[in-house]
Amino acid sequence: MSKTDPLRQVLTDLIKESQSPLTPEDIVREFRATSERRLPLCDLLQLLVSISESRPNFIEVTKEIADILQRKDPMYALLVFVQRYKESGISSRCSSGISLSTMGSPHGIKTSFNSASDVDSATASAPTTGRSITSASSTTTARSGTSEYSSASSRLSLPQAQDFPTSTPVNSKKSADSDASSGVFVRRGPMQRNHGQNKEERGDLSVIKERVLSAVSDRSLNSYRSVASDALSSRSGNGTKTSATVIATPTGVPDEYRTHLLWDYYKVDGNKLPKTEIAALPLSSQENLLLDELLHCLTGVRENLLVPRQPDPTTVGLAKFETGFDIHMQLDRSLAELVKDILPLASYFMGMQKIVTATNGQGQVMNSLNEALQDLTHDFYLLIVQAEQELRQHRLTLQKLLYYLQPTLWVMEEIWTSLVDIQLSDYRDAAVLTYLHERIKRLEGDRAAQQLIIGLARKAAEPYMRMLQMWIQKGVIVDRNQEFLVEDNEVIHRDELPEHYSDDYWERRYNVRRDHIPSFLEKYSDKILRTGKYLNVIRQCGKRVMPTQEMHLEFDPTSERHVSVINDAYYFAARMLLDVLLTENDLMGHLQSVKRYLLLNQGDFTMQFMDACEDELTKNVDHVLPMTLENLLGLTLRLSSARNDPYKDDLHCELLPYDLVTQMSKIMNQKEEYWQAQPRLDLSGLECFAFTYEVKWPCSLVLNHISISKYQMLFRQLFYCKHVERQLCKIWKENSIAKKFSPQAAELYRSAFTLRQRMMNAIQNLEYYMMIEIIEPNWHIFIEKMKTVENVDNVLRLHQDFLDSCLKNCMLTESSHLNRAIFKICKICLKFCEFIQRSQRFFLDAELKSMVCDTHDSADSSESEQESLHRPQLETSLDPADTFSERVKRFDLEFTGLLISFLKQINNMAKKNTADCFMNLVHRINFNAFYSDQMDKMCAKDAMG
Amino acid sequence: MPSEIITLQLGQCGNQIGFEFWKRLCLEHGISPSGVLEDFANDGMDRKDVFFYQADDDHYIPRAVLLDLEPRVINTIMGSAYSKLYNPENVYLSKHGGGAGNNWASGYGQGEKLQEEVFDIIDREADGSDSLEGFILCHSIAGGTGSGMGSFIMERLADRYPKKLIQTFSVFPNQDEISDVVVQPYNSMLTLKRLTTAADSVVVLDNTALNRIACDRLHIQNPSFSQINNLVSTIMSVSTTTLRYPSYMNNNLIGLMAPLIPTPQLHFLMTGYTPLTSDSDINSQQPVNVRKTTVLDVMRRLLQPKNMMVSTGPDKSNHHCYISILNIIQGEVDPTQVHKSLQRIRDRKMAQFIPWGPTSIQVALSRSSPYVQSNHRVSGLMLANHTSICSLFERALNQYDKLRKRGAFLDQFRREDIFKDDLTELDESRETVDCLVQEYAAATREDYMQFSVKRGAGSGDSKSEDSRSVTSGGA
Repeated sequence: MSKTDPLRQVLTDLIKESQSPLTPEDIVREFRATSERRLPLCDLLQLLVSISESRPNFIEVTKEIADILQRKDPMYALLVFVQRYKESGISSRCSSGISLSTMGSPHGIKTSFNSASDVDSATASAPTTGRSITSASSTTTARSGTSEYSSASSRLSLPQAQDFPTSTPVNSKKSADSDASSGVFVRRGPMQRNHGQNKEERGDLSVIKERVLSAVSDRSLNSYRSVASDALSSRSGNGTKTSATVIATPTGVPDEYRTHLLWDYYKVDGNKLPKTEIAALPLSSQENLLLDELLHCLTGVRENLLVPRQPDPTTVGLAKFETGFDIHMQLDRSLAELVKDILPLASYFMGMQKIVTATNGQGQVMNSLNEALQDLTHDFYLLIVQAEQELRQHRLTLQKLLYYLQPTLWVMEEIWTSLVDIQLSDYRDAAVLTYLHERIKRLEGDRAAQQLIIGLARKAAEPYMRMLQMWIQKGVIVDRNQEFLVEDNEVIHRDELPEHYSDDYWERRYNVRRDHIPSFLEKYSDKILRTGKYLNVIRQCGKRVMPTQEMHLEFDPTSERHVSVINDAYYFAARMLLDVLLTENDLMGHLQSVKRYLLLNQGDFTMQFMDACEDELTKNVDHVLPMTLENLLGLTLRLSSARNDPYKDDLHCELLPYDLVTQMSKIMNQKEEYWQAQPRLDLSGLECFAFTYEVKWPCSLVLNHISISKYQMLFRQLFYCKHVERQLCKIWKENSIAKKFSPQAAELYRSAFTLRQRMMNAIQNLEYYMMIEIIEPNWHIFIEKMKTVENVDNVLRLHQDFLDSCLKNCMLTESSHLNRAIFKICKICLKFCEFIQRSQRFFLDAELKSMVCDTHDSADSSESEQESLHRPQLETSLDPADTFSERVKRFDLEFTGLLISFLKQINNMAKKNTADCFMNLVHRINFNAFYSDQMDKMCAKDAMG
Repeated sequence: MPSEIITLQLGQCGNQIGFEFWKRLCLEHGISPSGVLEDFANDGMDRKDVFFYQADDDHYIPRAVLLDLEPRVINTIMGSAYSKLYNPENVYLSKHGGGAGNNWASGYGQGEKLQEEVFDIIDREADGSDSLEGFILCHSIAGGTGSGMGSFIMERLADRYPKKLIQTFSVFPNQDEISDVVVQPYNSMLTLKRLTTAADSVVVLDNTALNRIACDRLHIQNPSFSQINNLVSTIMSVSTTTLRYPSYMNNNLIGLMAPLIPTPQLHFLMTGYTPLTSDSDINSQQPVNVRKTTVLDVMRRLLQPKNMMVSTGPDKSNHHCYISILNIIQGEVDPTQVHKSLQRIRDRKMAQFIPWGPTSIQVALSRSSPYVQSNHRVSGLMLANHTSICSLFERALNQYDKLRKRGAFLDQFRREDIFKDDLTELDESRETVDCLVQEYAAATREDYMQFSVKRGAGSGDSKSEDSRSVTSGGA
């Protein structure tokens, strides 16, 4: 039989159908070509499309092939392609010739299949564990099983594409089930490797079973040897021999619960067991026969006297994992009753086995639990073997067996109940541990059962605790199945985005998966998260993380030792990171430095910087040269007392694109923007200016982007107030020339002077309030608390609290627009300063002249003269209708109105919320009750209106 | 480019208190008498360059100019351990060395003659600083050199450096004892006029009060000059502490002065200090502190007249009030206490404030020198603008009027250039001071804004009656 046949046959058919000019050879050549000379994938796909268009399942197949092409060798794709159309060809056209030729060429199919599985196994790297790929049918339903019994050669040499099921309870798929191919490779992963290790570690389960079976087959007494066990035992002898005659039909149990591991009472056809007339036997023989059958029954072998009931496929819940048995009618009643007591054990055992197989590979926890259960299975088999030996020596009676099995029965029931619960609720990973932990608690009174579940739980928790240990001692997560309670969300690399990295790092890099916490770790989940997080930060600082002593972490519900291990690890990590932050990286020094510059604590520096940058900053922001600012800043830092600060070079200038009010409304995300954000054009450099502080890892964890923004908001408000204060001081100095004026002239300006003083009072009190009453006390509290801080999260929280408290009390978080009022007050003060400065030279000239010409004569004349002197000159800059004093009056009204409404606003807020400190500001500004009358008046007006 | 301040010491008194002041500053900044930084002084968070500059060999030199017309005090200074501290070029002694003979006019006249040499020094010193903020003048108003020459220099400075501040520490004569300087009332009046028109702020150091404090509070029977000067130097150093140890606020002279002085004329400040202890107290190591001193304690004590360095006499009509207050508090202070203390003072109305404008007690928490050990946990200095200061001027007016009415001792004035033609300078000075008194009196009333000076020609009695009537009218 030519090996080209099946493949090319199908291709030929297809080509014929589509009447394409290609030959099968062309297609195969294209697909076989080496990767350099091969056509692009889409062209290959196009080739296949062109010949298969007329087929009914064309669309699905094309999709599948396209997918395979992406991942696998094109040749493999071609093979799959051919397979698909071969099947459909068979079914749709029933061409006997073709089907015959396919049927008759198993060798060819096998070849093609092997090549496919080679590709597959190469990617899966399964062969290293001694696992082989088995195929159950001629379709691509390859399944890499976990079987210890099956050898690849025997499985592959089974007749392919048969309509009858395979002999062993291996998972068989109907050949028409083409969808299955996609699901076949799913159950592959670490669990298989794990399983393989288990095999090496503690002896193969098959060996045990073989031992059991050989013990069974050894019996000389009875002739009712099951063919199945015979087959197995003989296979255990030479391993590769195939029992092609053994054919079993499934008992109706869903496929996924049935594997080659289990017998599960498969009916063995073709070997009719002789029906013994049981009633005819004497009671003792009956008992022996029954015992023999019972022992088989307990290992899942189908017998005559004890027939498992056909499970009802509609059952749900508990019953799904139960097996009922029909006891032979003719059996002696006394025996039957005893058997009834034992039979649940078989049901439990089978139930357990089913669940074990079903859950195998579903995560490390499940695998580990299953491993523990297999140990129990091992023991159980040993028990059966012992019983069987007793039986051989004719020492076993049913009562004795019941006596032997009683504890096991009870253990099995316990395990079965737990497992069924787990399986029915679909618990996996941590939930299993949680369930077991709760079960242990519930079994408080039942010591033995508790011990049993504790044993299981301990075993099941092993991989989890291993992960935990890695995490809390090294900060490493090895968790491919996403089972661990901490997940790593590393998205960006540190070097790429240094600015925002630390904000996200602390909050988002590691998360607790709330649904993945075993209940016994629930309380410590936070600690666990932090421990590893700290360790990672320490590592990122370039330090080695060396746990002080090796701690072994094991789940022990009785001693709670793991708690102390977690605590130790946590304190170690927390202490170490605190040391790294506070001692090695001098976090407090940096904070001091930030406070010094951004909160204006270093007043002389602020003043000098303002002196230096005033000209630059009063320009429109678009004309401000950042480089100039930066240079001036550098100069100021070197000349002021800041020069002794080791961190002065971390300070930089920043020109934000919006003013403080806009920044705040942005932050508070206010929809209604009734305070129109000023276009950038109108902003002076001063309004946009802020210092920024460059922070390096790991201090950037605390001084992160958000914190710096908050500092900047405080800074901008303080800086603006300081600027206003400076302007007021400046006109104070300029005005002080008035002391030379004649007393009469000085009178005129008194209204201006006192208005200036009122402004000064308001602004300075605002500054004092913010600095002395808010920032300094809060800082004081912060420092006090920092002395006893235990971990970095606390540091973060305290720092956050400090900033938030400052912001709140400096009216930078209020939605009541207090800061807008402040801003307006500042604005009017600046306008006033400007006005005074402009008029200064005019009245200076006027006064000095009047002093010279007209020394001590009538006050009236000098006044009128001075008015007349003012008018023409002021016309250029001021409203011609206004005299100096009228202008001052208008400023006075405007300023007072703003201030009073500001104070009143605070008053109203203080009534609602007494916890705030805003009232202190009112008390400061209105210390001598100067504004009380006006405030009362305004309140009265409001009440009336 | 810090805001440097140049200190000018004039006359016997000025040089004495200046000397004490520099001694104190050196101590606080850890500078040895020869100007070398002590080994322990490596804190680095203080601003030495406001008052000192560094020579090529890095030793610190005070920005001080020492002026006198007679050599006694300056020679004492140059003979002391601190002789190497000063820049010898900044020490100016008039060549003829005869002094001013306690005559204002003589001092003024000599100042005029020597102005070139004096201003050479001052200009050089001013040029040597990056951004000079102002001058501090130490002098007494009663003598000859400090008052006369001081007046002249003040006037010149105000013309020459109109953008710079001029602050003075002016020692007012002791009213309780009869002065040996008979023309003291004339001297005071003439100097007061210059203090009113040329200086930006005047810290009044009243010898009457200083002596009283020394006797009553420090229990010294006959206080010596050095004991008094010790008090003065404390006040001077503490009042500049926010400049030298900068914090949030009041980091330059203008920031310190501007809030205290609402209108240009009302710029005479009083000081108060607590706790007051003498050297003997410190030496005896008695347990002075029987309880914890709080911010409130300090602030309350500062409001007590007995701690004030100005003796204003009993305020019978009880209408005088604070125009403004700045408390500089040093030591271990819990910043959270500040607000509570302010609130307490406000609630109990411990201080009376002006009715015509807002005002409050500003509290500056200042660091203090780590090198000077104080046996007080907290100490406080008050800088206050109080209307009762005008009683000092009234007293001066009275004394002047008594003397002037008799026309006594005017001969020695007429000998000098300024009074060669007539004595209008005296009358003008008197009027300026009179206006000042009226303004201070008016400042106690609500209608201060509408107040206008009553101008009186002529002399004496009518004037003081006038001012008294103004005062009583306000009460």
